[in-house]
Amino acid sequence: MADPMHQFQVSKIVELPTVTVFGQAIDLSITNSVAAMMLAATLIIVFYAVASAKQAVVPGRLQTVGEMLYGLVNGLTESIIGHDGKKYLPFVFTLFIFVLFANVQGMFLVFTATSQIAVTLTLGLMVILTVVGVGFAKNGLKFFKLFAPSGVPWPLYFLLVPIEILSFLIRPITLALRLFGNMLGGHVVLKIFAGFVVALGGMGVLGWAGAALALSSVVALTALEFMVAFLQAFVFAVLTCVYLNDVVHLDSH
Amino acid sequence: MATETHGTVETTGAPEAHGGGGLPQLQFEHWGGQIVWLLLIFAVLYVVLSKGLLPRVSGAIETRGAKIAGDIADARRLKDEAEVQARAAAAEVAEARASAQRTAADAKAKASASAAERQAKEEAVLAEKLAAAEAGIQAARDQAMSHVAAVAQDTASAIVEKLTGKTASAAELKAALA
Repeated sequence: MADPMHQFQVSKIVELPTVTVFGQAIDLSITNSVAAMMLAATLIIVFYAVASAKQAVVPGRLQTVGEMLYGLVNGLTESIIGHDGKKYLPFVFTLFIFVLFANVQGMFLVFTATSQIAVTLTLGLMVILTVVGVGFAKNGLKFFKLFAPSGVPWPLYFLLVPIEILSFLIRPITLALRLFGNMLGGHVVLKIFAGFVVALGGMGVLGWAGAALALSSVVALTALEFMVAFLQAFVFAVLTCVYLNDVVHLDSH
Repeated sequence: MATETHGTVETTGAPEAHGGGGLPQLQFEHWGGQIVWLLLIFAVLYVVLSKGLLPRVSGAIETRGAKIAGDIADARRLKDEAEVQARAAAAEVAEARASAQRTAADAKAKASASAAERQAKEEAVLAEKLAAAEAGIQAARDQAMSHVAAVAQDTASAIVEKLTGKTASAAELKAALA
Protein backbone atom coordinates (compact mmCIF):
# COMPACT_ATOMS: atom_id res chain seq x y z
CA MET A 1 0.00 0.00 0.00
CA ALA A 2 1.15 3.50 -0.79
CA ASP A 3 2.36 5.53 2.16
CA PRO A 4 -0.65 7.62 3.27
CA MET A 5 1.67 10.35 4.51
CA HIS A 6 3.40 10.73 1.18
CA GLN A 7 0.75 13.16 -0.08
CA PHE A 8 1.95 15.71 2.47
CA GLN A 9 5.56 15.60 1.30
CA VAL A 10 6.76 19.06 0.30
CA SER A 11 8.92 18.96 -2.80
CA LYS A 12 10.53 21.61 -4.94
CA ILE A 13 9.15 22.48 -8.33
CA VAL A 14 11.22 25.53 -9.21
CA GLU A 15 14.60 25.96 -7.51
CA LEU A 16 15.18 29.46 -6.17
CA PRO A 17 18.09 30.74 -4.11
CA THR A 18 18.19 30.40 -0.36
CA VAL A 19 18.36 33.66 1.56
CA THR A 20 19.59 34.02 5.08
CA VAL A 21 17.65 36.31 7.39
CA PHE A 22 18.79 36.74 10.99
CA GLY A 23 20.94 33.66 10.67
CA GLN A 24 17.93 31.70 9.45
CA ALA A 25 18.27 30.06 6.05
CA ILE A 26 15.08 30.40 4.06
CA ASP A 27 14.73 28.35 0.91
CA LEU A 28 12.61 30.47 -1.42
CA SER A 29 12.16 27.66 -3.93
CA ILE A 30 8.64 27.24 -5.23
CA THR A 31 7.47 23.99 -3.74
CA ASN A 32 4.24 22.12 -4.41
CA SER A 33 2.85 23.73 -1.26
CA VAL A 34 3.69 27.23 -2.50
CA ALA A 35 2.30 26.37 -5.93
CA ALA A 36 -0.96 25.18 -4.35
CA MET A 37 -1.27 28.46 -2.44
CA MET A 38 -0.53 30.46 -5.57
CA LEU A 39 -3.12 28.50 -7.49
CA ALA A 40 -5.69 29.04 -4.73
CA ALA A 41 -5.05 32.79 -4.70
CA THR A 42 -5.18 32.94 -8.49
CA LEU A 43 -8.45 30.99 -8.58
CA ILE A 44 -9.95 33.26 -5.94
CA ILE A 45 -9.01 36.38 -7.88
CA VAL A 46 -10.23 34.95 -11.19
CA PHE A 47 -13.42 33.72 -9.57
CA TYR A 48 -14.23 37.06 -7.99
CA ALA A 49 -13.17 39.00 -11.07
CA VAL A 50 -15.67 36.99 -13.12
CA ALA A 51 -18.33 36.94 -10.40
CA SER A 52 -18.22 40.70 -9.92
CA ALA A 53 -17.70 41.60 -13.58
CA LYS A 54 -21.32 42.29 -14.45
CA GLN A 55 -22.62 43.57 -11.10
CA ALA A 56 -26.02 42.54 -12.38
CA VAL A 57 -29.14 43.31 -10.39
CA VAL A 58 -30.38 39.83 -11.22
CA PRO A 59 -27.23 37.78 -10.60
CA GLY A 60 -26.06 34.80 -12.62
CA ARG A 61 -24.78 31.60 -11.04
CA LEU A 62 -21.19 32.68 -10.39
CA GLN A 63 -22.26 36.05 -9.07
CA THR A 64 -24.77 34.37 -6.76
CA VAL A 65 -22.12 32.06 -5.32
CA GLY A 66 -19.66 34.93 -4.93
CA GLU A 67 -22.22 37.09 -3.19
CA MET A 68 -23.33 34.19 -1.01
CA LEU A 69 -19.79 33.63 0.32
CA TYR A 70 -19.36 37.36 0.79
CA GLY A 71 -22.72 37.57 2.55
CA LEU A 72 -21.75 34.68 4.81
CA VAL A 73 -18.61 36.41 6.08
CA ASN A 74 -20.39 39.76 6.16
CA GLY A 75 -23.06 38.21 8.36
CA LEU A 76 -20.36 36.77 10.63
CA THR A 77 -18.50 40.03 11.17
CA GLU A 78 -21.74 41.92 11.67
CA SER A 79 -23.31 39.46 14.09
CA ILE A 80 -20.17 38.75 16.11
CA ILE A 81 -18.25 42.04 16.05
CA GLY A 82 -21.24 44.27 15.48
CA HIS A 83 -21.32 47.56 13.67
CA ASP A 84 -17.52 47.94 13.70
CA GLY A 85 -17.24 44.56 12.01
CA LYS A 86 -17.28 46.06 8.52
CA LYS A 87 -13.70 47.29 8.99
CA TYR A 88 -12.41 43.78 9.58
CA LEU A 89 -14.47 42.18 6.83
CA PRO A 90 -11.71 42.20 4.16
CA PHE A 91 -9.24 40.51 6.50
CA VAL A 92 -11.70 37.88 7.73
CA PHE A 93 -12.97 37.33 4.22
CA THR A 94 -9.47 36.89 2.78
CA LEU A 95 -8.70 34.33 5.50
CA PHE A 96 -11.98 32.51 4.92
CA ILE A 97 -11.80 32.37 1.15
CA PHE A 98 -8.11 31.42 1.14
CA VAL A 99 -8.62 28.57 3.60
CA LEU A 100 -11.78 27.49 1.77
CA PHE A 101 -10.12 27.41 -1.64
CA ALA A 102 -7.01 25.68 -0.30
CA ASN A 103 -9.18 23.05 1.43
CA VAL A 104 -11.44 22.41 -1.54
CA GLN A 105 -8.51 22.43 -3.92
CA GLY A 106 -7.08 19.62 -1.82
CA MET A 107 -10.18 17.58 -2.61
CA PHE A 108 -9.48 17.82 -6.34
CA LEU A 109 -5.72 18.08 -6.67
CA VAL A 110 -2.90 16.14 -5.08
CA PHE A 111 -1.68 18.68 -2.56
CA THR A 112 -3.50 20.42 0.29
CA ALA A 113 -1.70 23.56 1.43
CA THR A 114 -3.79 23.74 4.61
CA SER A 115 -2.54 20.33 5.69
CA GLN A 116 0.86 21.91 6.30
CA ILE A 117 1.50 23.07 9.87
CA ALA A 118 3.77 25.79 8.53
CA VAL A 119 0.83 27.25 6.62
CA THR A 120 -1.87 26.89 9.27
CA LEU A 121 0.42 28.15 12.02
CA THR A 122 1.30 31.19 9.93
CA LEU A 123 -2.39 31.88 9.40
CA GLY A 124 -3.05 31.44 13.12
CA LEU A 125 -0.22 33.78 14.04
CA MET A 126 -1.47 36.31 11.50
CA VAL A 127 -4.85 36.25 13.22
CA ILE A 128 -3.49 36.65 16.70
CA LEU A 129 -1.02 39.36 15.71
CA THR A 130 -3.85 41.24 14.02
CA VAL A 131 -5.88 40.84 17.21
CA VAL A 132 -2.99 42.17 19.30
CA GLY A 133 -2.42 45.03 16.87
CA VAL A 134 -6.10 46.00 16.79
CA GLY A 135 -6.23 45.63 20.56
CA PHE A 136 -3.37 48.04 21.17
CA ALA A 137 -4.54 50.46 18.47
CA LYS A 138 -8.06 50.64 19.89
CA ASN A 139 -7.37 50.42 23.63
CA GLY A 140 -3.75 51.35 24.15
CA LEU A 141 -2.40 49.86 27.35
CA LYS A 142 -5.94 49.02 28.44
CA PHE A 143 -5.46 46.07 26.13
CA PHE A 144 -4.13 44.17 29.13
CA LYS A 145 -7.57 44.35 30.70
CA LEU A 146 -8.28 41.44 28.38
CA PHE A 147 -6.43 39.22 30.83
CA ALA A 148 -8.20 40.58 33.92
CA PRO A 149 -11.95 40.26 33.48
CA SER A 150 -13.92 42.63 35.68
CA GLY A 151 -16.44 41.61 38.31
CA VAL A 152 -14.19 39.07 40.00
CA PRO A 153 -13.01 39.15 43.65
CA TRP A 154 -9.38 40.29 43.52
CA PRO A 155 -7.76 37.19 45.07
CA LEU A 156 -9.03 35.22 42.11
CA TYR A 157 -6.84 37.30 39.79
CA PHE A 158 -3.82 35.29 40.92
CA LEU A 159 -5.47 32.30 39.34
CA LEU A 160 -7.43 33.96 36.58
CA VAL A 161 -4.79 36.16 34.96
CA PRO A 162 -2.34 33.34 34.20
CA ILE A 163 -5.18 31.26 32.81
CA GLU A 164 -6.38 34.11 30.61
CA ILE A 165 -2.86 34.78 29.35
CA LEU A 166 -2.33 31.13 28.61
CA SER A 167 -5.64 30.79 26.83
CA PHE A 168 -4.80 33.83 24.74
CA LEU A 169 -1.35 32.58 23.82
CA ILE A 170 -2.69 29.17 22.92
CA ARG A 171 -5.20 30.58 20.43
CA PRO A 172 -2.93 30.63 17.36
CA ILE A 173 -1.85 27.09 18.15
CA THR A 174 -5.41 25.79 18.46
CA LEU A 175 -6.37 27.64 15.29
CA ALA A 176 -3.44 26.09 13.46
CA LEU A 177 -3.82 22.57 14.85
CA ARG A 178 -7.57 22.41 14.31
CA LEU A 179 -7.29 23.19 10.61
CA PHE A 180 -4.14 21.13 10.15
CA GLY A 181 -5.55 18.15 12.03
CA ASN A 182 -8.82 18.10 10.13
CA MET A 183 -7.11 18.29 6.76
CA LEU A 184 -4.43 15.77 7.67
CA GLY A 185 -6.85 13.29 9.21
CA GLY A 186 -9.38 13.44 6.41
CA HIS A 187 -6.85 12.97 3.67
CA VAL A 188 -5.02 10.18 5.48
CA VAL A 189 -8.26 8.27 6.08
CA LEU A 190 -9.28 8.74 2.46
CA LYS A 191 -5.93 7.47 1.29
CA ILE A 192 -5.97 4.46 3.59
CA PHE A 193 -9.47 3.41 2.59
CA ALA A 194 -8.64 3.92 -1.07
CA GLY A 195 -5.59 1.72 -0.46
CA PHE A 196 -7.85 -0.97 1.00
CA VAL A 197 -9.87 -1.00 -2.22
CA VAL A 198 -6.79 -1.87 -4.23
CA ALA A 199 -5.31 -4.28 -1.67
CA LEU A 200 -8.56 -6.20 -1.05
CA GLY A 201 -9.53 -6.13 -4.71
CA GLY A 202 -6.51 -8.27 -5.51
CA MET A 203 -7.45 -10.98 -3.02
CA GLY A 204 -10.11 -12.84 -4.95
CA VAL A 205 -13.90 -13.03 -4.59
CA LEU A 206 -13.96 -12.66 -0.81
CA GLY A 207 -11.75 -9.61 -1.07
CA TRP A 208 -14.12 -7.96 -3.54
CA ALA A 209 -16.81 -7.64 -0.86
CA GLY A 210 -14.32 -5.89 1.37
CA ALA A 211 -13.15 -3.76 -1.51
CA ALA A 212 -16.74 -2.75 -2.27
CA LEU A 213 -17.22 -1.82 1.39
CA ALA A 214 -14.01 0.21 1.39
CA LEU A 215 -14.99 1.90 -1.85
CA SER A 216 -18.40 2.93 -0.50
CA SER A 217 -16.60 4.25 2.59
CA VAL A 218 -14.34 6.32 0.35
CA VAL A 219 -17.36 7.77 -1.44
CA ALA A 220 -19.06 8.64 1.85
CA LEU A 221 -15.85 10.03 3.34
CA THR A 222 -15.29 12.16 0.25
CA ALA A 223 -18.67 13.79 0.80
CA LEU A 224 -17.80 14.28 4.46
CA GLU A 225 -14.45 15.82 3.56
CA PHE A 226 -16.11 18.38 1.30
CA MET A 227 -18.22 19.39 4.25
CA VAL A 228 -15.19 19.50 6.54
CA ALA A 229 -13.32 21.60 3.98
CA PHE A 230 -16.07 24.21 4.09
CA LEU A 231 -16.69 23.91 7.80
CA GLN A 232 -13.07 24.41 8.80
CA ALA A 233 -12.81 27.55 6.70
CA PHE A 234 -16.02 28.75 8.35
CA VAL A 235 -14.77 27.91 11.84
CA PHE A 236 -11.52 29.73 11.14
CA ALA A 237 -13.48 32.82 10.14
CA VAL A 238 -15.84 32.57 13.13
CA LEU A 239 -12.99 32.27 15.62
CA THR A 240 -11.15 35.15 14.00
CA CYS A 241 -14.28 37.27 14.46
CA VAL A 242 -14.66 36.14 18.07
CA TYR A 243 -11.03 37.00 18.89
CA LEU A 244 -11.33 40.37 17.15
CA ASN A 245 -14.56 41.08 19.03
CA ASP A 246 -12.76 40.49 22.34
CA VAL A 247 -10.40 43.39 21.70
CA VAL A 248 -12.81 45.65 19.78
CA HIS A 249 -15.34 45.59 22.61
CA LEU A 250 -12.87 45.36 25.48
CA ASP A 251 -14.99 47.60 27.71
CA SER A 252 -17.82 45.12 27.85
CA HIS A 253 -15.43 42.23 28.40
CA MET B 1 -0.50 9.14 -7.36
CA ALA B 2 1.00 12.17 -8.96
CA THR B 3 2.85 13.15 -5.81
CA GLU B 4 4.85 10.00 -6.03
CA THR B 5 6.55 11.31 -9.13
CA HIS B 6 8.10 13.91 -6.87
CA GLY B 7 9.54 11.20 -4.73
CA THR B 8 12.93 11.41 -6.31
CA VAL B 9 13.14 15.18 -5.99
CA GLU B 10 12.53 15.05 -2.27
CA THR B 11 14.88 17.08 -0.25
CA THR B 12 17.95 15.33 0.87
CA GLY B 13 18.60 17.92 3.53
CA ALA B 14 16.69 16.07 6.22
CA PRO B 15 19.24 14.05 8.03
CA GLU B 16 17.07 13.95 11.13
CA ALA B 17 14.68 11.14 11.83
CA HIS B 18 11.87 12.76 9.81
CA GLY B 19 12.36 10.50 6.86
CA GLY B 20 11.16 7.35 8.49
CA GLY B 21 7.52 7.61 9.54
CA GLY B 22 7.63 11.18 10.86
CA LEU B 23 5.19 13.76 9.62
CA PRO B 24 6.39 15.37 6.39
CA GLN B 25 4.88 18.55 7.82
CA LEU B 26 7.58 18.62 10.46
CA GLN B 27 10.47 18.85 8.01
CA PHE B 28 11.41 22.31 9.14
CA GLU B 29 13.65 23.10 6.18
CA HIS B 30 10.45 23.68 4.16
CA TRP B 31 8.88 25.99 6.71
CA GLY B 32 10.69 29.20 5.88
CA GLY B 33 9.81 29.17 2.21
CA GLN B 34 6.17 28.30 2.85
CA ILE B 35 5.82 31.02 5.48
CA VAL B 36 7.44 33.74 3.34
CA TRP B 37 5.45 32.77 0.26
CA LEU B 38 2.22 32.51 2.25
CA LEU B 39 2.70 36.00 3.68
CA LEU B 40 3.41 37.33 0.20
CA ILE B 41 0.46 35.55 -1.42
CA PHE B 42 -1.86 36.49 1.41
CA ALA B 43 -0.83 40.14 1.22
CA VAL B 44 -1.42 40.25 -2.54
CA LEU B 45 -4.76 38.48 -2.15
CA TYR B 46 -5.79 40.82 0.66
CA VAL B 47 -4.96 43.93 -1.36
CA VAL B 48 -6.65 42.70 -4.53
CA LEU B 49 -9.78 41.61 -2.66
CA SER B 50 -10.13 44.55 -0.29
CA LYS B 51 -9.25 47.27 -2.81
CA GLY B 52 -10.56 45.81 -6.02
CA LEU B 53 -13.03 42.98 -5.89
CA LEU B 54 -14.94 43.10 -2.60
CA PRO B 55 -16.14 46.70 -3.12
CA ARG B 56 -17.56 45.59 -6.46
CA VAL B 57 -19.36 42.66 -4.82
CA SER B 58 -20.78 44.78 -2.00
CA GLY B 59 -21.60 47.49 -4.53
CA ALA B 60 -23.68 45.06 -6.55
CA ILE B 61 -25.46 43.89 -3.38
CA GLU B 62 -26.15 47.46 -2.29
CA THR B 63 -27.36 48.47 -5.76
CA ARG B 64 -29.74 45.55 -5.71
CA GLY B 65 -30.99 46.44 -2.23
CA ALA B 66 -31.52 50.06 -3.25
CA LYS B 67 -33.30 49.02 -6.44
CA ILE B 68 -35.60 46.65 -4.57
CA ALA B 69 -36.34 49.26 -1.92
CA GLY B 70 -37.01 51.86 -4.62
CA ASP B 71 -39.28 49.53 -6.55
CA ILE B 72 -41.22 48.67 -3.41
CA ALA B 73 -41.59 52.36 -2.58
CA ASP B 74 -42.83 53.03 -6.13
CA ALA B 75 -45.30 50.19 -5.92
CA ARG B 76 -46.54 51.41 -2.54
CA ARG B 77 -46.97 54.94 -3.88
CA LEU B 78 -48.88 53.67 -6.92
CA LYS B 79 -51.06 51.55 -4.68
CA ASP B 80 -51.87 54.55 -2.51
CA GLU B 81 -52.71 56.60 -5.57
CA ALA B 82 -54.93 53.85 -6.90
CA GLU B 83 -56.67 53.65 -3.54
CA VAL B 84 -57.35 57.39 -3.54
CA GLN B 85 -58.75 57.14 -7.05
CA ALA B 86 -60.87 54.16 -6.11
CA ARG B 87 -62.26 56.08 -3.15
CA ALA B 88 -63.06 59.07 -5.39
CA ALA B 89 -64.76 56.82 -7.92
CA ALA B 90 -66.82 55.17 -5.18
CA ALA B 91 -67.89 58.58 -3.87
CA GLU B 92 -68.88 59.62 -7.37
CA VAL B 93 -70.92 56.49 -7.86
CA ALA B 94 -72.65 57.03 -4.53
CA GLU B 95 -73.44 60.63 -5.42
CA ALA B 96 -74.78 59.63 -8.83
CA ARG B 97 -76.93 56.96 -7.22
CA ALA B 98 -78.29 59.45 -4.70
CA SER B 99 -79.12 61.99 -7.38
CA ALA B 100 -80.75 59.32 -9.51
CA GLN B 101 -82.81 58.23 -6.54
CA ARG B 102 -83.78 61.85 -5.89
CA THR B 103 -84.80 62.35 -9.50
CA ALA B 104 -86.80 59.16 -9.46
CA ALA B 105 -88.54 60.16 -6.24
CA ASP B 106 -89.31 63.60 -7.65
CA ALA B 107 -90.76 62.15 -10.82
CA LYS B 108 -92.80 59.70 -8.81
CA ALA B 109 -94.17 62.43 -6.56
CA LYS B 110 -94.97 64.64 -9.56
CA ALA B 111 -96.67 61.78 -11.36
CA SER B 112 -98.72 60.78 -8.34
CA ALA B 113 -99.72 64.42 -7.71
CA SER B 114 -100.95 64.91 -11.27
CA ALA B 115 -102.73 61.56 -11.14
CA ALA B 116 -104.50 62.56 -7.93
CA GLU B 117 -105.48 65.88 -9.45
CA ARG B 118 -106.84 64.19 -12.54
CA GLN B 119 -108.69 61.72 -10.40
CA ALA B 120 -110.24 64.47 -8.30
CA LYS B 121 -111.36 66.29 -11.43
CA GLU B 122 -112.80 63.12 -12.85
CA GLU B 123 -114.55 62.38 -9.58
CA ALA B 124 -116.04 65.88 -9.51
CA VAL B 125 -117.40 65.42 -13.02
CA LEU B 126 -118.79 62.06 -12.08
CA ALA B 127 -120.36 63.42 -8.89
CA GLU B 128 -121.94 66.21 -10.91
CA LYS B 129 -123.34 63.71 -13.41
CA LEU B 130 -124.56 61.54 -10.56
CA ALA B 131 -126.32 64.49 -8.93
CA ALA B 132 -127.92 65.45 -12.24
CA ALA B 133 -129.05 61.90 -12.81
CA GLU B 134 -130.46 61.65 -9.29
CA ALA B 135 -132.31 64.92 -9.78
CA GLY B 136 -133.73 63.56 -13.07
CA ILE B 137 -134.82 60.39 -11.36
CA GLN B 138 -136.43 62.35 -8.52
CA ALA B 139 -138.31 64.51 -11.03
CA ALA B 140 -139.46 61.45 -12.98
CA ARG B 141 -140.61 59.79 -9.82
CA ASP B 142 -142.52 62.89 -8.65
CA GLN B 143 -144.10 63.14 -12.07
CA ALA B 144 -144.95 59.46 -11.98
CA MET B 145 -146.44 59.80 -8.50
CA SER B 146 -148.59 62.70 -9.66
CA HIS B 147 -149.68 60.63 -12.63
CA VAL B 148 -150.60 57.83 -10.23
CA ALA B 149 -153.11 60.19 -8.52
CA ALA B 150 -154.62 61.20 -11.85
CA VAL B 151 -154.84 57.56 -12.92
CA ALA B 152 -156.52 56.63 -9.61
CA GLN B 153 -159.01 59.50 -10.05
CA ASP B 154 -159.79 58.36 -13.58
CA THR B 155 -160.15 54.80 -12.46
CA ALA B 156 -162.26 55.75 -9.48
CA SER B 157 -164.49 57.94 -11.66
CA ALA B 158 -164.82 55.11 -14.18
CA ILE B 159 -165.61 52.56 -11.44
CA VAL B 160 -168.08 54.94 -9.81
CA GLU B 161 -169.75 55.65 -13.17
CA LYS B 162 -169.98 52.02 -13.94
CA LEU B 163 -171.36 51.06 -10.58
CA THR B 164 -173.68 53.97 -9.95
CA GLY B 165 -174.34 55.23 -13.35
CA LYS B 166 -173.63 58.69 -12.23
CA THR B 167 -170.66 60.75 -12.70
CA ALA B 168 -168.80 61.67 -9.57
CA SER B 169 -167.58 65.23 -9.41
CA ALA B 170 -163.86 65.96 -9.32
CA ALA B 171 -164.03 67.29 -5.82
CA GLU B 172 -165.76 64.17 -4.52
CA LEU B 173 -163.17 61.99 -6.12
CA LYS B 174 -160.33 64.02 -4.71
CA ALA B 175 -161.75 63.79 -1.24
CA ALA B 176 -162.32 60.08 -1.55
CA LEU B 177 -158.79 59.46 -2.69
CA ALA B 178 -157.03 61.70 -0.21
